[in-house]
Amino acid sequence: MKVHYYPGCTLKQKTTALDISTREALKRLDVELVEPEGWTCCGAEYPLTEEKIAGLAAPIRTLRQVRDEGGDILVTTCSFCFAVLKRADRALQDDPLKHKRVNAYLRDDIQIDPLTKARTTGFEDYNGEVKVLHLLEFLRDRVGYPRIRERIKRDLEGLAIAPYYGCRVLRPREEMAVDDPESPRLFEEFLEAVGCGAVDYPFKQECCGSYLSVSLPAAATEASYRVLRSARMNGAKAVAVTCPLCFYNMDHRQDAIKEAYLDFPGLPVVYFTQLLAWALGVDRSVLGLGEHRVPADGLFLEIPATEVRT
Amino acid sequence: MTTKPKLKEKRIGLFVCHCGVNIAGVVDVGKVAEQLKDTPGVSFSTDYVYMCSDPGQQMIIDTIKEKHLDGIIVAACSPTLHEKTFQEAARLAGLNPYQIEIANIREQDSWVHTDKEKATKKAVKIVKSHVAKARQNENLDPIKVDVNRRALIIGGGVSGLQAAMDIADHGYEVILVEKNPSIGGKMIQLSETFPTLDCSQCILTPKMVEVSRHPRIKLLTYHEVDSISGFVGNFKVRIKKRPRYVDETLCNLCGECEKVCPQVVPDEFNMGLSFRKAIYLPFPQAIPGTYTLDAENCLGLNPVRCGKCKDVCDKKAIDYDMKETITEEEVGAVVVATGYDLYTMQALGEYGGEKYDDVVNGLEFERILSASGPTGGEIRRPSDGKVPRSIVFVQCSGSRDSEKHLPYCSKICCMYTAKHAMMYRHRVPDGQATVFYIDVRTGGKSFDEFYMRTVEEDKVLYIRGKVSKIFKEGDKLIVWGVDTLTGKKVEIEADMVVLAMAMVKADGVQDLLKKLKIATDIHGFLAEAHPKLRPVESLNAGFYLAGCAHGPKDIPETVAQASAAAAKVGDLFAQKELVHEPTVVPVNDELCSGCGICLTMCPYTARTLDPARGVVVVNEILCEGCGACAAACPSGAAQQRNQTDDQIFSMLRAMLRD
Amino acid sequence: MRVKLKAGHDQRKFIKRIEELSGENVFACYQCGRCSAGCPMAAEMDLLPNQVIRLVQMGLSEDVLRSKTLFLCASCFTCESRCPKGIDMARVMEAVRHILDPKGKDAFGPGEIPPELAQELPQQVLVSLFKKFAK
Repeated sequence: MKVHYYPGCTLKQKTTALDISTREALKRLDVELVEPEGWTCCGAEYPLTEEKIAGLAAPIRTLRQVRDEGGDILVTTCSFCFAVLKRADRALQDDPLKHKRVNAYLRDDIQIDPLTKARTTGFEDYNGEVKVLHLLEFLRDRVGYPRIRERIKRDLEGLAIAPYYGCRVLRPREEMAVDDPESPRLFEEFLEAVGCGAVDYPFKQECCGSYLSVSLPAAATEASYRVLRSARMNGAKAVAVTCPLCFYNMDHRQDAIKEAYLDFPGLPVVYFTQLLAWALGVDRSVLGLGEHRVPADGLFLEIPATEVRT
Repeated sequence: MTTKPKLKEKRIGLFVCHCGVNIAGVVDVGKVAEQLKDTPGVSFSTDYVYMCSDPGQQMIIDTIKEKHLDGIIVAACSPTLHEKTFQEAARLAGLNPYQIEIANIREQDSWVHTDKEKATKKAVKIVKSHVAKARQNENLDPIKVDVNRRALIIGGGVSGLQAAMDIADHGYEVILVEKNPSIGGKMIQLSETFPTLDCSQCILTPKMVEVSRHPRIKLLTYHEVDSISGFVGNFKVRIKKRPRYVDETLCNLCGECEKVCPQVVPDEFNMGLSFRKAIYLPFPQAIPGTYTLDAENCLGLNPVRCGKCKDVCDKKAIDYDMKETITEEEVGAVVVATGYDLYTMQALGEYGGEKYDDVVNGLEFERILSASGPTGGEIRRPSDGKVPRSIVFVQCSGSRDSEKHLPYCSKICCMYTAKHAMMYRHRVPDGQATVFYIDVRTGGKSFDEFYMRTVEEDKVLYIRGKVSKIFKEGDKLIVWGVDTLTGKKVEIEADMVVLAMAMVKADGVQDLLKKLKIATDIHGFLAEAHPKLRPVESLNAGFYLAGCAHGPKDIPETVAQASAAAAKVGDLFAQKELVHEPTVVPVNDELCSGCGICLTMCPYTARTLDPARGVVVVNEILCEGCGACAAACPSGAAQQRNQTDDQIFSMLRAMLRD
Repeated sequence: MRVKLKAGHDQRKFIKRIEELSGENVFACYQCGRCSAGCPMAAEMDLLPNQVIRLVQMGLSEDVLRSKTLFLCASCFTCESRCPKGIDMARVMEAVRHILDPKGKDAFGPGEIPPELAQELPQQVLVSLFKKFAK
């Protein structure tokens, strides 16, 4: 199976762990990831005012590129990218004015042919032809948990993992339309499918502090602390995330958290794709564990690779 | 179209009303009267300031007599307001009331236009069309039918009980059907009732006993209405009797069967907070006073499987061979009093859904407060039985939320939350009671004073802010709220939370109402005929509404509404015979081909196909004269009385001519 | 300070502009406060989210525009997901910041980040932060 994949700029630079583990894991599931030619940063934030239409150009251009390369799905792992791409796509379908304006911006854009590398301009309006999927949705709906289960090489023995959705995957509920924001099941079902035990805790969709960790660090420190603390209290051995910013706030800044909250002993943070790759038998050297500030090696201890039948 | 023989020309009187300035301010009423006075058929034409007033009506009566009029047109407001008034005036003058025409030149003209000249021209057209119609109006007599002076009440809660007693006290027979093993509804589950703090069972049980002993009330518990056919004054009801497996006339409540029954299930009466056996008495004051065997949870109704209860029953009251039976009753009126349920907590994921034992709804808290409840009236929390030192009460849980839940206000929660908080403070004086509210609605008599007591005397802390999230941390429930009045976020560690869940339509009743074709609103509550002026009648003739089945309300209003419904039933029964508007749509056999299109159009199932003759037959009592069948009929066999196709076409011609 | 309300209040430029930018009907808010109750940053704010929209309803633009709250919003949409009237408070916040922009206030600019920190920050933080808070 071949599918278009959008890593996002952060995955290529600072958080390669998420990108590498995604690729390695999907290789084991016979899924070939294809990046759309000449993709650019999605813009990170979906513009929330009716007038900031220019901010929609970059994500729509990417989606249009996918369409022109013959794809009808775009898979992404980064929550920010996922939200921007999906909401931009919907915005064009729901609002005729945005549809007109954004397509007008892009009509003069330069398109690169993936085979010949020829550059052309002036092409078809984007009309919502591409469906944006989060990797978790893709795994559940297109790959299917049965295939994952039958390819599992390592028994994770119900390792207690706290799924952390963060804000962008589930909200706003109608636009993202992924799952029920109050009682979601998507991430939990994934964890169970790869052999982990999903921990239920009340902070799974509470904000980690987001970009405030730069402008107002104390607020973000507290927010991330509350998530980690709740996960720990409910028995989690680690928190699994799907966003490089959540990872940064909860892993890279865990020193700051420990300084501010002395009672907090620490908790490793991993990407859900690292768990997937590990379960599917990928070698730990390509999981990107070196990027963690809070050592997560303890979760990925080498055990004899065995066939696990489910 | 049939050609009618030329009738003798009519002598119609036209009265154009000023309605003060409502009409005269825009339409030149004098001009209208003047322009119409020479129209064929019109013998008299005038205008007057208020036709509906006594002198106005007297003018009609006098003019009919003086000028020998045989038709009247009143050009005024909508017929929904005064058609009956003028029909009655005509009748007093000796003219058939169905010769009255109302030409609406207010709602259809003066109230929606501002150009005086054009509005006057329009008024002339409107009146001309009515003249054309009036020339062909016939004398009609109301349709008469007998009334069966027996009432059916569906539902044995306080509203059903009140209506039953009132109707029976009038001297009529009543059949009360209740689907649960005992009457009492939700009110019997309550502990104290606001604003008097009366013990609910103490004030309700006398009514329950009175109903059970009333010579004219037939009490059918553990029964369900299966179907109703017929029409107002003449209903046929099929009632399903569920097998109790216990003979209520023999059971003496010794309780031996309960002791030996091995099946333990959650007790619905205590909202699942305690258990009962498969053979059980719902509550001590249950009426009828008998045990009931719940077949779904019984091991098998078979001595081979169990049979323990039967073995120990001295009175030989237990009979596993009882079967479901169906009986038929005939009644003249039906009062629907099927009550309510509470919105499910599962819908509020942000409050934990149904995950947390110590987050309860109002009815669960009532059972905890009740002396006959699972904790004997001591306030203890469900998870570990500890006495809660801090309870948070959350109002508007599911109500007033047009986005995801229910847009309406459930009316009773502000009052019962105040009551709950007050009761808690009385029993646990050092306990902290906090109420999160958006508004506090205390519109009834002595209600606000009661709420003030809660705040001033019992020192319950009321915080204005809607709770965003409730979750468990260790032993406590964390409540995230806000005080909008001081602008501060509030976080409370509570031992227990009581959610004032929205009141919704009664579970499982939707199907029954659909079967009975009783109109409901979009929320599943019974639809009244008019929200202000006809609050206890359904638009379906013969059906009356009472209690929370109609919408959220408290006990005083419920009792008042039940008595009102009973009074309306009394109105119906007081009539010698039922009178129905004759402006129905009969069938012309000669033209009817039996195609049956009109059958599908009729919302009142008034038309049926007679297979023997191959023509359609109409039950004139059920026909409400909506005219849908007449419009659909391809052969013109369906013609509405005093609104025939001929009349309609002549109205159009009159309007379009100039 | 006295608030004086005149006829045509709801037509005030400030209110209309906020509604236009956000696409939200600010008058639908009945001040239940649920947005504030669930906001993860509300404890640090000088004006609670519900107070922000209240001031908009009252047309008191100055109070809103000088509030620190605008730069504490993490756009987490918890407010939006729980509002019983379906108002997206995050959009209202963004609309207010949008009006603020041309007035020259720079809540957080690139100059305020130390170089070592800038090295290790994931790009998405910088892009989203500047998009939201910088001029």
